[in-house]
Amino acid sequence: MKISIIKPGLLSTIQDMGRYRYLSQAVPVSGAMDELAHRLANKAVGNDDNDATIEFTYADASFKAETPILISYSGDGAFLVYNNELMPAEKPLFFPAGSVIRLINNPIGMRTYLAVAGGWEVPDVMKSKSTYLTAGFGGFKGRKLQKADVLVSNTILNEVSSKILSQLIERSLTYPHWRISRESLLPKKRQKIRVVLANEICWFDATSILSFLTGTYSIDLRSNRMGYHLSGKRLVKKVKKELLSTAVTPGTIQVTGSGNLVILMADCQTTGGYPRIAHVAAVDLPLCAQLKPGDSIQFSEISGEEAEELYLEREHDLSLITMAISLKYI
Amino acid sequence: MNKQERYLGTNIPLKIYGLSEKSVTITFGTEIDNDLLYLITGFNQLLLQNSFNGLITTVPAYTTLTVFYDPLTVMLSDLPGEGCFEKVSAHLNKIAAIETEKSKVMANHLVIPVCYGGDFGHDVLTVARHNKLSESEVIEMHTAGYYTVFMIGFVPGFAYMGGMDNRLATPRKEVPAAKIPAGSVGIAGNQTGIYPMETPGGWQIIGRTPVKMFDVSRKQPSFLKGGDRVTFQAVDMDEFNAYGIEV
Repeated sequence: MKISIIKPGLLSTIQDMGRYRYLSQAVPVSGAMDELAHRLANKAVGNDDNDATIEFTYADASFKAETPILISYSGDGAFLVYNNELMPAEKPLFFPAGSVIRLINNPIGMRTYLAVAGGWEVPDVMKSKSTYLTAGFGGFKGRKLQKADVLVSNTILNEVSSKILSQLIERSLTYPHWRISRESLLPKKRQKIRVVLANEICWFDATSILSFLTGTYSIDLRSNRMGYHLSGKRLVKKVKKELLSTAVTPGTIQVTGSGNLVILMADCQTTGGYPRIAHVAAVDLPLCAQLKPGDSIQFSEISGEEAEELYLEREHDLSLITMAISLKYI
Repeated sequence: MNKQERYLGTNIPLKIYGLSEKSVTITFGTEIDNDLLYLITGFNQLLLQNSFNGLITTVPAYTTLTVFYDPLTVMLSDLPGEGCFEKVSAHLNKIAAIETEKSKVMANHLVIPVCYGGDFGHDVLTVARHNKLSESEVIEMHTAGYYTVFMIGFVPGFAYMGGMDNRLATPRKEVPAAKIPAGSVGIAGNQTGIYPMETPGGWQIIGRTPVKMFDVSRKQPSFLKGGDRVTFQAVDMDEFNAYGIEV
Protein backbone atom coordinates (compact mmCIF):
# COMPACT_ATOMS: atom_id res chain seq x y z
CA MET A 1 0.00 0.00 0.00
CA LYS A 2 1.28 3.40 -0.89
CA ILE A 3 0.26 7.03 -0.41
CA SER A 4 1.72 10.30 -1.57
CA ILE A 5 1.54 13.49 0.46
CA ILE A 6 -0.29 16.27 -1.35
CA LYS A 7 -0.23 18.69 1.57
CA PRO A 8 1.79 17.79 4.65
CA GLY A 9 0.07 20.07 7.20
CA LEU A 10 1.80 21.91 10.04
CA LEU A 11 3.88 19.07 11.48
CA SER A 12 3.45 15.49 10.32
CA THR A 13 5.87 12.84 11.52
CA ILE A 14 6.14 9.06 11.70
CA GLN A 15 5.82 7.80 15.28
CA ASP A 16 5.48 4.54 17.17
CA MET A 17 5.38 3.88 20.91
CA GLY A 18 8.81 5.35 21.50
CA ARG A 19 12.47 4.62 21.92
CA TYR A 20 13.03 3.50 25.52
CA ARG A 21 16.27 1.57 25.39
CA TYR A 22 18.68 4.46 24.83
CA LEU A 23 17.58 6.83 27.60
CA SER A 24 20.93 6.46 29.38
CA GLN A 25 22.58 7.92 26.26
CA ALA A 26 20.19 10.88 26.45
CA VAL A 27 18.10 9.71 23.48
CA PRO A 28 14.55 10.92 24.20
CA VAL A 29 11.56 8.56 24.19
CA SER A 30 9.78 10.41 21.35
CA GLY A 31 6.88 8.39 19.91
CA ALA A 32 3.22 9.30 19.58
CA MET A 33 2.19 12.17 21.85
CA ASP A 34 -1.31 10.67 22.19
CA GLU A 35 -0.33 7.06 22.61
CA LEU A 36 -3.95 6.00 23.09
CA ALA A 37 -5.12 7.41 19.75
CA HIS A 38 -2.02 5.95 18.07
CA ARG A 39 -2.78 2.49 19.46
CA LEU A 40 -6.49 2.63 18.61
CA ALA A 41 -5.72 3.62 15.01
CA ASN A 42 -3.41 0.61 14.79
CA LYS A 43 -5.87 -1.77 16.42
CA ALA A 44 -8.62 -0.76 13.98
CA VAL A 45 -6.62 -2.19 11.05
CA GLY A 46 -5.43 -5.23 12.99
CA ASN A 47 -1.88 -3.93 13.56
CA ASP A 48 0.39 -4.27 16.55
CA ASP A 49 0.19 -1.25 18.87
CA ASN A 50 3.82 -0.39 18.17
CA ASP A 51 3.45 -0.21 14.38
CA ALA A 52 4.32 3.18 12.95
CA THR A 53 1.56 5.74 12.31
CA ILE A 54 1.64 9.28 10.95
CA GLU A 55 1.07 11.91 13.63
CA PHE A 56 -0.67 14.94 12.08
CA THR A 57 -0.75 18.26 13.92
CA TYR A 58 -4.07 20.07 13.36
CA ALA A 59 -5.59 19.65 9.88
CA ASP A 60 -4.90 21.28 6.54
CA ALA A 61 -3.25 18.18 5.14
CA SER A 62 -4.15 15.79 2.35
CA PHE A 63 -2.81 12.67 0.69
CA LYS A 64 -3.55 10.40 -2.23
CA ALA A 65 -3.87 6.62 -2.29
CA GLU A 66 -1.39 5.48 -4.95
CA THR A 67 -2.59 1.89 -4.51
CA PRO A 68 -5.69 0.52 -2.80
CA ILE A 69 -5.21 1.19 0.93
CA LEU A 70 -6.61 -0.05 4.23
CA ILE A 71 -6.23 2.71 6.81
CA SER A 72 -7.78 4.00 10.02
CA TYR A 73 -7.44 7.13 12.09
CA SER A 74 -7.92 8.32 15.64
CA GLY A 75 -7.31 11.50 17.60
CA ASP A 76 -8.79 14.96 18.03
CA GLY A 77 -6.88 17.21 15.65
CA ALA A 78 -8.73 16.45 12.44
CA PHE A 79 -11.47 14.52 10.67
CA LEU A 80 -10.77 12.58 7.51
CA VAL A 81 -12.86 13.63 4.54
CA TYR A 82 -13.34 11.76 1.26
CA ASN A 83 -15.60 13.05 -1.54
CA ASN A 84 -16.97 15.63 0.90
CA GLU A 85 -18.03 12.86 3.23
CA LEU A 86 -16.80 12.68 6.82
CA MET A 87 -15.01 9.39 7.49
CA PRO A 88 -15.66 7.54 10.75
CA ALA A 89 -12.70 7.26 13.13
CA GLU A 90 -11.39 4.14 14.92
CA LYS A 91 -12.63 1.92 12.11
CA PRO A 92 -10.87 0.24 9.16
CA LEU A 93 -11.44 2.23 5.95
CA PHE A 94 -10.73 0.78 2.53
CA PHE A 95 -10.03 3.22 -0.33
CA PRO A 96 -9.42 2.35 -3.97
CA ALA A 97 -6.29 3.62 -5.72
CA GLY A 98 -6.51 7.26 -6.74
CA SER A 99 -8.61 8.34 -3.74
CA VAL A 100 -7.74 11.75 -2.34
CA ILE A 101 -8.28 12.06 1.41
CA ARG A 102 -8.25 15.39 3.24
CA LEU A 103 -7.93 16.31 6.89
CA ILE A 104 -10.30 19.01 8.10
CA ASN A 105 -10.16 20.75 11.42
CA ASN A 106 -11.51 19.10 14.56
CA PRO A 107 -11.83 21.91 17.12
CA ILE A 108 -11.46 19.57 20.11
CA GLY A 109 -7.77 18.82 19.93
CA MET A 110 -4.50 18.90 18.12
CA ARG A 111 -3.17 15.51 17.02
CA THR A 112 -4.48 12.78 14.75
CA TYR A 113 -2.93 9.40 13.95
CA LEU A 114 -3.13 7.64 10.61
CA ALA A 115 -2.45 3.90 10.61
CA VAL A 116 -2.11 1.66 7.58
CA ALA A 117 -2.54 -2.12 7.57
CA GLY A 118 0.95 -3.51 8.21
CA GLY A 119 2.27 -0.19 9.57
CA TRP A 120 4.20 2.53 7.72
CA GLU A 121 7.54 1.17 6.59
CA VAL A 122 10.57 3.21 7.61
CA PRO A 123 13.94 1.94 8.88
CA ASP A 124 14.36 1.20 12.57
CA VAL A 125 16.75 3.61 14.22
CA MET A 126 17.82 2.42 17.65
CA LYS A 127 14.97 -0.10 17.64
CA SER A 128 12.20 2.43 16.94
CA LYS A 129 10.53 4.08 13.97
CA SER A 130 9.80 7.31 15.87
CA THR A 131 10.99 10.62 14.49
CA TYR A 132 13.20 12.80 16.69
CA LEU A 133 13.41 16.07 14.83
CA THR A 134 15.94 17.86 17.06
CA ALA A 135 18.68 15.38 16.16
CA GLY A 136 17.19 14.51 12.77
CA PHE A 137 16.92 10.76 13.12
CA GLY A 138 14.19 8.14 12.93
CA GLY A 139 10.89 8.16 11.07
CA PHE A 140 10.86 9.31 7.45
CA LYS A 141 14.47 10.38 6.77
CA GLY A 142 14.67 11.99 10.20
CA ARG A 143 12.38 14.83 9.19
CA LYS A 144 8.75 15.93 9.04
CA LEU A 145 6.73 14.92 6.00
CA GLN A 146 6.83 17.17 2.94
CA LYS A 147 4.80 17.59 -0.20
CA ALA A 148 5.33 14.70 -2.67
CA ASP A 149 6.78 12.31 -0.07
CA VAL A 150 5.76 8.74 -0.84
CA LEU A 151 5.04 6.44 2.08
CA VAL A 152 4.69 2.71 1.80
CA SER A 153 3.38 0.14 4.21
CA ASN A 154 4.98 -3.05 5.40
CA THR A 155 3.76 -5.57 2.81
CA ILE A 156 3.59 -8.47 5.23
CA LEU A 157 0.15 -8.41 6.82
CA ASN A 158 -0.78 -10.41 9.88
CA GLU A 159 -3.81 -12.67 9.83
CA VAL A 160 -6.25 -10.11 11.24
CA SER A 161 -5.20 -7.33 8.86
CA SER A 162 -5.39 -9.71 5.88
CA LYS A 163 -8.88 -10.82 6.84
CA ILE A 164 -10.09 -7.23 7.33
CA LEU A 165 -8.67 -6.37 3.92
CA SER A 166 -10.18 -9.35 2.14
CA GLN A 167 -13.64 -8.54 3.53
CA LEU A 168 -13.46 -4.87 2.51
CA ILE A 169 -11.61 -4.98 -0.81
CA GLU A 170 -13.88 -3.39 -3.43
CA ARG A 171 -13.82 -0.86 -6.26
CA SER A 172 -15.06 1.89 -3.98
CA LEU A 173 -14.82 3.09 -0.38
CA THR A 174 -15.88 0.43 2.12
CA TYR A 175 -15.87 0.04 5.87
CA PRO A 176 -17.47 -2.34 8.36
CA HIS A 177 -20.27 -1.56 10.84
CA TRP A 178 -18.15 -1.97 13.95
CA ARG A 179 -15.89 0.64 15.42
CA ILE A 180 -13.75 0.96 18.55
CA SER A 181 -15.33 3.21 21.17
CA ARG A 182 -12.58 5.64 22.09
CA GLU A 183 -15.03 7.76 24.14
CA SER A 184 -15.53 4.89 26.59
CA LEU A 185 -11.80 4.99 27.39
CA LEU A 186 -11.64 8.75 27.96
CA PRO A 187 -12.90 10.53 31.08
CA LYS A 188 -15.91 12.84 30.72
CA LYS A 189 -14.13 15.88 32.14
CA ARG A 190 -11.19 16.23 29.84
CA GLN A 191 -9.81 19.44 31.34
CA LYS A 192 -9.23 17.65 34.68
CA ILE A 193 -5.76 16.11 34.65
CA ARG A 194 -4.99 13.57 37.35
CA VAL A 195 -1.52 13.81 38.86
CA VAL A 196 0.65 12.02 41.41
CA LEU A 197 2.70 14.31 43.65
CA ALA A 198 6.42 14.08 42.99
CA ASN A 199 9.59 13.70 45.02
CA GLU A 200 10.30 17.44 45.51
CA ILE A 201 6.74 18.31 46.59
CA CYS A 202 7.89 19.43 50.04
CA TRP A 203 10.27 21.97 48.48
CA PHE A 204 7.21 24.15 47.82
CA ASP A 205 5.23 26.17 50.34
CA ALA A 206 1.70 25.12 51.30
CA THR A 207 0.05 27.99 49.40
CA SER A 208 1.86 26.94 46.24
CA ILE A 209 0.79 23.31 46.56
CA LEU A 210 -2.76 24.47 47.17
CA SER A 211 -2.77 26.70 44.09
CA PHE A 212 -1.32 23.86 42.04
CA LEU A 213 -4.16 21.55 43.07
CA THR A 214 -7.01 24.08 42.93
CA GLY A 215 -5.98 26.68 40.40
CA THR A 216 -6.57 26.85 36.67
CA TYR A 217 -3.62 26.73 34.30
CA SER A 218 -3.61 27.45 30.61
CA ILE A 219 -1.39 26.16 27.85
CA ASP A 220 1.15 28.74 26.74
CA LEU A 221 2.15 29.36 23.12
CA ARG A 222 5.62 27.97 23.86
CA SER A 223 4.39 24.39 23.78
CA ASN A 224 5.56 21.63 21.50
CA ARG A 225 6.44 17.93 21.42
CA MET A 226 9.13 18.54 24.06
CA GLY A 227 6.86 20.08 26.64
CA TYR A 228 4.01 22.42 27.54
CA HIS A 229 4.63 25.67 29.33
CA LEU A 230 1.67 26.59 31.52
CA SER A 231 0.55 29.99 32.60
CA GLY A 232 -1.21 30.42 35.92
CA LYS A 233 -0.31 30.97 39.53
CA ARG A 234 3.45 30.72 40.01
CA LEU A 235 4.80 28.38 42.63
CA VAL A 236 7.20 29.41 45.35
CA LYS A 237 9.99 27.22 46.67
CA LYS A 238 10.41 27.34 50.44
CA VAL A 239 13.88 25.80 50.35
CA LYS A 240 17.01 27.25 48.79
CA LYS A 241 18.05 23.85 47.44
CA GLU A 242 18.88 23.20 43.79
CA LEU A 243 18.17 19.85 42.19
CA LEU A 244 21.09 17.98 40.65
CA SER A 245 20.11 16.77 37.19
CA THR A 246 18.27 13.47 37.38
CA ALA A 247 16.07 11.37 35.10
CA VAL A 248 12.73 12.81 34.01
CA THR A 249 10.12 11.26 31.74
CA PRO A 250 7.11 12.32 29.66
CA GLY A 251 4.43 13.40 32.14
CA THR A 252 6.89 14.87 34.65
CA ILE A 253 5.78 18.36 35.77
CA GLN A 254 8.76 20.60 36.44
CA VAL A 255 8.78 23.98 38.15
CA THR A 256 11.19 26.40 36.48
CA GLY A 257 13.32 28.98 38.25
CA SER A 258 10.61 31.61 37.82
CA GLY A 259 8.01 29.32 39.39
CA ASN A 260 6.22 28.34 36.18
CA LEU A 261 5.02 24.84 35.39
CA VAL A 262 6.21 22.75 32.45
CA ILE A 263 4.65 19.40 31.57
CA LEU A 264 7.28 17.30 29.83
CA MET A 265 6.05 15.52 26.72
CA ALA A 266 7.27 12.84 24.27
CA ASP A 267 10.44 14.55 22.98
CA CYS A 268 11.57 15.80 26.41
CA GLN A 269 15.19 15.57 27.54
CA THR A 270 16.04 12.44 29.49
CA THR A 271 17.36 14.36 32.51
CA GLY A 272 16.40 17.65 34.11
CA GLY A 273 17.48 19.89 36.94
CA TYR A 274 14.22 21.61 37.88
CA PRO A 275 12.33 20.38 40.96
CA ARG A 276 9.30 18.27 40.14
CA ILE A 277 5.94 18.93 41.77
CA ALA A 278 4.01 16.03 40.23
CA HIS A 279 3.67 13.69 37.30
CA VAL A 280 0.66 13.29 35.07
CA ALA A 281 -1.08 9.92 35.47
CA ALA A 282 -0.13 7.82 32.43
CA VAL A 283 -3.80 7.33 31.54
CA ASP A 284 -4.32 11.10 31.33
CA LEU A 285 -1.21 11.86 29.28
CA PRO A 286 -3.16 11.33 26.01
CA LEU A 287 -5.52 14.12 27.16
CA CYS A 288 -2.52 16.43 27.55
CA ALA A 289 -1.36 15.50 24.05
CA GLN A 290 -4.55 17.00 22.64
CA LEU A 291 -4.26 20.34 24.51
CA LYS A 292 -3.87 23.47 22.39
CA PRO A 293 -2.36 26.82 23.33
CA GLY A 294 -5.03 28.71 25.29
CA ASP A 295 -6.77 25.59 26.64
CA SER A 296 -7.34 25.52 30.40
CA ILE A 297 -6.71 22.61 32.74
CA GLN A 298 -6.93 21.79 36.42
CA PHE A 299 -5.00 19.18 38.30
CA SER A 300 -6.44 16.69 40.74
CA GLU A 301 -4.34 14.53 43.01
CA ILE A 302 -4.41 10.74 43.04
CA SER A 303 -2.02 8.33 44.76
CA GLY A 304 0.75 6.43 42.99
CA GLU A 305 -1.16 3.19 43.66
CA GLU A 306 -4.31 4.58 42.04
CA ALA A 307 -2.32 5.75 39.02
CA GLU A 308 -0.84 2.29 38.65
CA GLU A 309 -4.26 0.63 38.97
CA LEU A 310 -5.73 2.99 36.37
CA TYR A 311 -2.82 2.15 34.07
CA LEU A 312 -3.29 -1.60 34.49
CA GLU A 313 -7.08 -1.29 33.98
CA ARG A 314 -6.51 0.72 30.81
CA GLU A 315 -4.09 -1.89 29.50
CA HIS A 316 -6.62 -4.60 30.30
CA ASP A 317 -9.35 -2.71 28.41
CA LEU A 318 -7.03 -2.25 25.45
CA SER A 319 -6.16 -5.95 25.36
CA LEU A 320 -9.90 -6.77 25.33
CA ILE A 321 -10.33 -4.54 22.28
CA THR A 322 -7.55 -6.39 20.45
CA MET A 323 -9.08 -9.70 21.40
CA ALA A 324 -12.56 -8.66 20.27
CA ILE A 325 -11.24 -7.57 16.86
CA SER A 326 -9.29 -10.81 16.38
CA LEU A 327 -12.30 -12.89 17.35
CA LYS A 328 -14.36 -11.10 14.72
CA TYR A 329 -11.97 -12.14 11.98
CA ILE A 330 -10.22 -15.34 13.02
CA MET B 1 32.17 15.57 52.36
CA ASN B 2 29.36 13.74 50.64
CA LYS B 3 26.58 12.56 52.86
CA GLN B 4 26.32 9.13 51.35
CA GLU B 5 23.14 7.26 52.18
CA ARG B 6 24.56 3.76 51.93
CA TYR B 7 27.07 1.39 50.38
CA LEU B 8 26.49 -1.87 48.60
CA GLY B 9 26.44 -5.16 50.47
CA THR B 10 24.17 -4.13 53.35
CA ASN B 11 20.53 -4.71 54.13
CA ILE B 12 19.70 -1.05 54.75
CA PRO B 13 16.71 -0.34 52.48
CA LEU B 14 17.40 1.90 49.46
CA LYS B 15 15.75 5.31 49.18
CA ILE B 16 13.36 4.84 46.26
CA TYR B 17 10.63 7.06 44.85
CA GLY B 18 8.21 6.56 41.96
CA LEU B 19 8.93 8.72 38.91
CA SER B 20 5.98 7.45 36.85
CA GLU B 21 3.89 4.29 36.48
CA LYS B 22 6.80 2.83 34.55
CA SER B 23 9.83 4.01 36.50
CA VAL B 24 11.36 4.37 39.96
CA THR B 25 14.38 6.39 41.04
CA ILE B 26 16.91 5.31 43.66
CA THR B 27 18.65 8.16 45.52
CA PHE B 28 22.18 7.22 46.53
CA GLY B 29 23.46 10.52 47.90
CA THR B 30 23.14 14.28 47.83
CA GLU B 31 26.28 15.68 46.22
CA ILE B 32 28.37 15.10 43.11
CA ASP B 33 31.39 12.99 43.98
CA ASN B 34 33.57 10.25 42.54
CA ASP B 35 32.79 7.67 45.24
CA LEU B 36 29.11 8.11 44.61
CA LEU B 37 29.70 7.70 40.89
CA TYR B 38 31.44 4.36 41.60
CA LEU B 39 28.54 3.28 43.76
CA ILE B 40 25.93 4.17 41.13
CA THR B 41 27.96 2.70 38.25
CA GLY B 42 28.61 -0.46 40.25
CA PHE B 43 24.97 -0.85 41.24
CA ASN B 44 23.88 -0.25 37.66
CA GLN B 45 26.25 -2.93 36.34
CA LEU B 46 25.04 -5.39 39.00
CA LEU B 47 21.41 -4.68 38.16
CA LEU B 48 21.95 -5.15 34.44
CA GLN B 49 23.70 -8.48 35.13
CA ASN B 50 20.91 -9.54 37.52
CA SER B 51 17.91 -7.98 35.84
CA PHE B 52 14.26 -8.74 36.57
CA ASN B 53 11.45 -9.60 34.15
CA GLY B 54 10.13 -6.38 32.67
CA LEU B 55 13.27 -4.27 33.12
CA ILE B 56 13.55 -1.93 30.11
CA THR B 57 16.49 0.31 30.85
CA THR B 58 18.29 2.34 33.51
CA VAL B 59 19.37 5.99 33.58
CA PRO B 60 22.29 6.90 35.86
CA ALA B 61 22.59 10.54 36.98
CA TYR B 62 24.73 12.48 39.49
CA THR B 63 23.15 11.06 42.64
CA THR B 64 20.42 8.78 41.33
CA LEU B 65 19.73 5.72 39.23
CA THR B 66 16.35 5.50 37.52
CA VAL B 67 14.94 2.14 36.51
CA PHE B 68 12.36 1.88 33.70
CA TYR B 69 10.15 -1.20 33.42
CA ASP B 70 7.06 -2.60 31.78
CA PRO B 71 4.35 -2.69 34.49
CA LEU B 72 2.41 -5.55 32.87
CA THR B 73 5.43 -7.87 32.89
CA VAL B 74 6.40 -6.84 36.42
CA MET B 75 2.88 -7.59 37.68
CA LEU B 76 3.08 -11.11 36.21
CA SER B 77 6.47 -11.77 37.83
CA ASP B 78 6.84 -13.62 41.12
CA LEU B 79 8.63 -10.72 42.84
CA PRO B 80 7.20 -10.11 46.32
CA GLY B 81 4.90 -7.13 46.86
CA GLU B 82 1.49 -5.74 45.93
CA GLY B 83 2.08 -3.36 43.03
CA CYS B 84 4.94 -2.63 40.63
CA PHE B 85 6.60 -0.15 42.98
CA GLU B 86 6.88 -2.74 45.76
CA LYS B 87 7.91 -5.53 43.41
CA VAL B 88 10.64 -3.53 41.68
CA SER B 89 11.84 -2.11 45.02
CA ALA B 90 12.11 -5.64 46.42
CA HIS B 91 14.37 -6.63 43.54
CA LEU B 92 16.51 -3.50 43.82
CA ASN B 93 17.02 -4.09 47.55
CA LYS B 94 18.08 -7.64 46.80
CA ILE B 95 20.71 -6.30 44.38
CA ALA B 96 21.91 -3.78 46.96
CA ALA B 97 22.59 -6.58 49.43
CA ILE B 98 25.11 -8.20 47.07
CA GLU B 99 28.59 -7.42 48.27
CA THR B 100 30.75 -5.79 45.61
CA GLU B 101 34.27 -4.49 45.67
CA LYS B 102 34.96 -1.08 44.26
CA SER B 103 37.71 -2.55 42.09
CA LYS B 104 35.16 -4.73 40.29
CA VAL B 105 33.39 -1.67 38.87
CA MET B 106 34.31 -1.45 35.22
CA ALA B 107 35.44 1.95 33.96
CA ASN B 108 36.66 2.59 30.42
CA HIS B 109 39.38 5.10 29.77
CA LEU B 110 39.00 6.96 26.50
CA VAL B 111 41.41 9.38 24.84
CA ILE B 112 39.69 12.06 22.79
CA PRO B 113 41.78 13.94 20.19
CA VAL B 114 41.08 17.68 20.07
CA CYS B 115 42.32 20.30 17.62
CA TYR B 116 42.50 23.39 19.85
CA GLY B 117 42.18 27.04 18.90
CA GLY B 118 42.03 28.57 15.43
CA ASP B 119 38.80 28.23 13.49
CA PHE B 120 37.80 25.28 15.66
CA GLY B 121 38.15 27.09 18.97
CA HIS B 122 37.51 30.81 18.66
CA ASP B 123 37.11 31.25 22.39
CA VAL B 124 40.50 29.96 23.58
CA LEU B 125 41.58 33.58 23.86
CA THR B 126 38.52 34.45 25.98
CA VAL B 127 39.33 31.58 28.35
CA ALA B 128 43.02 32.62 28.44
CA ARG B 129 42.27 36.30 29.12
CA HIS B 130 39.64 35.54 31.73
CA ASN B 131 42.11 33.39 33.67
CA LYS B 132 45.23 35.45 32.92
CA LEU B 133 46.85 32.57 31.06
CA SER B 134 48.44 32.16 27.65
CA GLU B 135 46.63 30.18 24.95
CA SER B 136 49.13 27.35 25.17
CA GLU B 137 48.71 27.19 28.96
CA VAL B 138 44.96 26.78 28.46
CA ILE B 139 45.57 23.88 26.08
CA GLU B 140 48.18 22.32 28.39
CA MET B 141 45.87 22.48 31.40
CA HIS B 142 42.93 21.13 29.45
CA THR B 143 44.91 18.15 28.14
CA ALA B 144 46.54 17.51 31.53
CA GLY B 145 43.16 16.85 33.17
CA TYR B 146 41.74 13.44 33.99
CA TYR B 147 38.01 13.67 33.57
CA THR B 148 35.10 11.62 34.84
CA VAL B 149 31.79 11.20 33.00
CA PHE B 150 29.03 11.58 35.57
CA MET B 151 26.09 11.20 33.25
CA ILE B 152 24.80 11.63 29.70
CA GLY B 153 22.01 14.18 29.32
CA PHE B 154 20.83 17.40 27.64
CA VAL B 155 21.04 16.05 24.04
CA PRO B 156 21.88 12.53 22.78
CA GLY B 157 25.52 11.74 23.66
CA PHE B 158 26.25 14.87 25.71
CA ALA B 159 28.52 13.94 28.64
CA TYR B 160 28.45 15.84 31.93
CA MET B 161 32.12 15.63 32.94
CA GLY B 162 33.89 16.53 36.14
CA GLY B 163 37.56 17.05 36.83
CA MET B 164 38.46 20.21 34.95
CA ASP B 165 41.24 22.37 36.40
CA ASN B 166 39.45 25.22 38.20
CA ARG B 167 42.00 27.68 36.81
CA LEU B 168 40.23 27.26 33.42
CA ALA B 169 36.76 28.13 34.74
CA THR B 170 35.11 30.74 32.51
CA PRO B 171 31.50 31.98 32.49
CA ARG B 172 29.19 31.17 29.58
CA LYS B 173 28.85 33.64 26.73
CA GLU B 174 26.41 36.43 27.43
CA VAL B 175 24.72 35.85 24.09
CA PRO B 176 24.58 32.16 23.12
CA ALA B 177 25.83 31.26 19.64
CA ALA B 178 23.05 30.24 17.25
CA LYS B 179 25.03 27.31 15.87
CA ILE B 180 27.80 25.37 17.53
CA PRO B 181 29.23 22.69 15.23
CA ALA B 182 29.18 19.03 16.26
CA GLY B 183 32.38 17.97 18.05
CA SER B 184 33.00 21.39 19.58
CA VAL B 185 34.77 21.23 22.95
CA GLY B 186 33.64 23.91 25.34
CA ILE B 187 33.94 25.34 28.83
CA ALA B 188 31.09 26.72 30.94
CA GLY B 189 31.83 27.66 34.54
CA ASN B 190 33.95 24.83 35.90
CA GLN B 191 32.56 22.26 33.49
CA THR B 192 33.93 21.05 30.19
CA GLY B 193 31.96 19.20 27.54
CA ILE B 194 31.62 18.26 23.88
CA TYR B 195 28.65 19.14 21.67
CA PRO B 196 27.58 15.84 20.02
CA MET B 197 25.48 17.59 17.37
CA GLU B 198 25.02 21.04 15.96
CA THR B 199 22.91 23.02 18.44
CA PRO B 200 22.72 26.57 19.74
CA GLY B 201 24.82 27.02 22.86
CA GLY B 202 26.49 29.38 25.27
CA TRP B 203 29.71 27.55 26.08
CA GLN B 204 33.16 28.99 25.35
CA ILE B 205 34.45 26.87 22.47
CA ILE B 206 38.15 26.03 22.69
CA GLY B 207 38.55 23.28 20.09
CA ARG B 208 36.95 20.49 18.12
CA THR B 209 37.23 16.71 18.12
CA PRO B 210 36.95 14.58 14.95
CA VAL B 211 35.34 11.84 17.09
CA LYS B 212 31.64 11.39 16.46
CA MET B 213 30.29 11.77 19.98
CA PHE B 214 26.92 10.39 18.86
CA ASP B 215 26.41 8.09 15.90
CA VAL B 216 23.17 6.16 15.43
CA SER B 217 24.97 3.51 13.34
CA ARG B 218 27.08 2.36 16.31
CA LYS B 219 25.91 -0.34 18.72
CA GLN B 220 26.44 2.17 21.51
CA PRO B 221 25.51 5.42 19.72
CA SER B 222 26.89 7.62 22.50
CA PHE B 223 30.71 7.59 22.48
CA LEU B 224 30.77 8.09 26.25
CA LYS B 225 28.70 6.69 29.07
CA GLY B 226 28.34 7.38 32.79
CA GLY B 227 31.40 6.18 34.73
CA ASP B 228 33.88 6.53 31.82
CA ARG B 229 37.26 8.26 32.31
CA VAL B 230 38.44 10.71 29.68
CA THR B 231 41.64 12.50 28.71
CA PHE B 232 42.05 14.95 25.85
CA GLN B 233 44.98 14.83 23.44
CA ALA B 234 45.97 17.86 21.39
CA VAL B 235 46.20 17.15 17.65
CA ASP B 236 46.99 19.42 14.70
CA MET B 237 44.80 20.06 11.69
CA ASP B 238 46.40 17.26 9.62
CA GLU B 239 45.83 14.71 12.35
CA PHE B 240 42.28 16.02 12.76
CA ASN B 241 41.58 15.56 9.05
CA ALA B 242 43.23 12.14 8.95
CA TYR B 243 41.21 10.87 11.90
CA GLY B 244 39.19 7.80 11.08
CA ILE B 245 40.74 7.37 7.64
CA GLU B 246 42.55 4.05 7.26
CA VAL B 247 45.97 4.50 5.68
